[in-house]
Amino acid sequence: MIRFLIRRIALTLPTFVALMFVTFAAIRLVPGDPVEVRVGEHGISPERLAEFRHQLGLDQPVWKQFLDYVWGLFHGDFGTSVVTNQKVLTEFFTLFPATLELAFCALIFAIGIGIPAGAIAAVKRGSAYDHMLMGMSLTGYSMPIFWWGLLLVMFFSERLGWTPVSGRIDLIQYYFEPVTGFMLIDAMLSDQPGALWSALSHLALPAIVLGTIPLAIIARMTRSSMLEVLNEDYVRTARAKGLPPWRVIGLHALRNALIPVITIIGLQVGGLMGGAVLTEYIFAWPGVGHWLIDAISRRDYPALQGGIMLISSIVIIVNLFVDVLYGTVNPRIRHGR
Amino acid sequence: MAADVTLAAPLSSAAQPSSFAEFWASFRENKGAVAGLVILSLIVFTAIFADVLAPHSPLEQFRESVKLPPAWYEGGNWAFPLGTDALGRDMLSRIMHGARYSLFIGLSVMAVSIVCGVGLGLVAAFAGGWVDSAISRIMDLIVAIPSLVLAILIIAILQNPSLEKTIVAVTIVSLPRYVRLVRASALSEMGKDYVTAAKVAGVGNMRLMLRTVLPNCLAPVIVQAALGVSDAILEAAALGFLGLGAQPPTPEWGAMVGDGREFIRSEPWIVTLPGLAILVTVISINLFGDGLRDALDPKLKRS
Repeated sequence: MIRFLIRRIALTLPTFVALMFVTFAAIRLVPGDPVEVRVGEHGISPERLAEFRHQLGLDQPVWKQFLDYVWGLFHGDFGTSVVTNQKVLTEFFTLFPATLELAFCALIFAIGIGIPAGAIAAVKRGSAYDHMLMGMSLTGYSMPIFWWGLLLVMFFSERLGWTPVSGRIDLIQYYFEPVTGFMLIDAMLSDQPGALWSALSHLALPAIVLGTIPLAIIARMTRSSMLEVLNEDYVRTARAKGLPPWRVIGLHALRNALIPVITIIGLQVGGLMGGAVLTEYIFAWPGVGHWLIDAISRRDYPALQGGIMLISSIVIIVNLFVDVLYGTVNPRIRHGR
Repeated sequence: MAADVTLAAPLSSAAQPSSFAEFWASFRENKGAVAGLVILSLIVFTAIFADVLAPHSPLEQFRESVKLPPAWYEGGNWAFPLGTDALGRDMLSRIMHGARYSLFIGLSVMAVSIVCGVGLGLVAAFAGGWVDSAISRIMDLIVAIPSLVLAILIIAILQNPSLEKTIVAVTIVSLPRYVRLVRASALSEMGKDYVTAAKVAGVGNMRLMLRTVLPNCLAPVIVQAALGVSDAILEAAALGFLGLGAQPPTPEWGAMVGDGREFIRSEPWIVTLPGLAILVTVISINLFGDGLRDALDPKLKRS
């Protein structure tokens, strides 16, 4: 187990190095001198300019700059935003809970509906329900989610007036200091009646939009994995023993069918982060995805660089974690390769 | 299984027609796939003949009929069957021309990433050692960065978003799946007897790579390519929506949704119709791709 763990971690290290290299190179490739962005259009004396360049380390040779960059990363220095002048790391982690909350709820939505829906479709294979679910799943993963988001806003917010259009909570009615950064928990802790409801109704549409593609994929995967398992000998044995059908399906079949589904869920993390960019943009959700798009339009390249470094690191670490978890659950993976 | 046998032996030209007939026989059993193919053919037809079929130019602004609803609604006009947008441009004509952009992006991303992906995958499998490690780690890296975020970064580096830059960005993002697929299947093919036999017979490396091994790795690549087109279209549309893809006044579907966003309350058709076009196109490609997979690659067949 330890050897498997070490091998998996060793495999991700080069990816990290490459990631540092790419983010470092990217900021040098994007047009526009960071110094010019910072001083603005007013222009300054050559001496001040040289001083700025020195401050930013831009007068050093490139390899030295790269080492400084890596050194900085290891010390938690992910650069400084040229627009707000704040540390990228601080900005990122103030906004990250919003993204995490959204992604987490989207995943809960996808798993909570996808697994039972897929399992039932497999049991009722060939039925009208099965065909309908497969059709919906096909539509779900073919969905341009930015458009899906707008459709839902149009229907639920504009037409029915059920949900708010943007943001995380009604800021006019409810205000409290963030404690955890997770709006649902903070709203609960605030003891203001209605705050939790307000937070929930703000969260509902974005979570559904972001969860749609994972939902479609999970439902489909559960169905096909379940179909395979239902043909296994041990399921037939369980049936022959005279166990009630719900026990055979729920306990014997579903548990085994879920193994590949868990891997698929793990693989959704990267997609969720990408989808979060679009979802947050549509719903003006104050998370890292929205912040990243803003950084581009403001040409705040250090924020872009640091943000991509951080988001990708999170994805790499989560994937590593899922892999290790999977290796723990399923020894065949651990000893293979 | 019979398809398997023909694939396991290097394809000879004599085997081609019968294997196509076999493929077609198994493909047409799948109703969804046939439906996908029919819809897709209609979309391709529309894209090719958009100039002839479209009632108006996609760029012409009819100043006196701005924001007309589709014809069957009150106030609609059959001169503009699907209504007009905020600048008075005919929605139907724009959507018809939009098919060109989406299909063009999807197909060019597919073509470029197949060529690059097959090349890199084969080189990785044949060269082994540090070349293999380097290629594999770079692909790991591309996969680690969320695809839309990476595409956005590439657009930022290339500056001034455009259709061509969208293609470059989406191609880079979709490379890993081809490289990994080709590498894995080339590695498994290389252990087989017929490759050893070819080596013993003194076949050169280039020929071994391209003539002996490659044809036997192609079935999964073709399947992946079909499904890859739909991902590329979605990715490109998302960039267009964010204003980082095709630029106005190009009638690209994603950009049309993005531009029409402010009108969702009052003139919803400006947003709904182009999005529906994306959805229908992607669904038909996915249906077609699923059928292709079931017919070409029985091993991957979904129950």
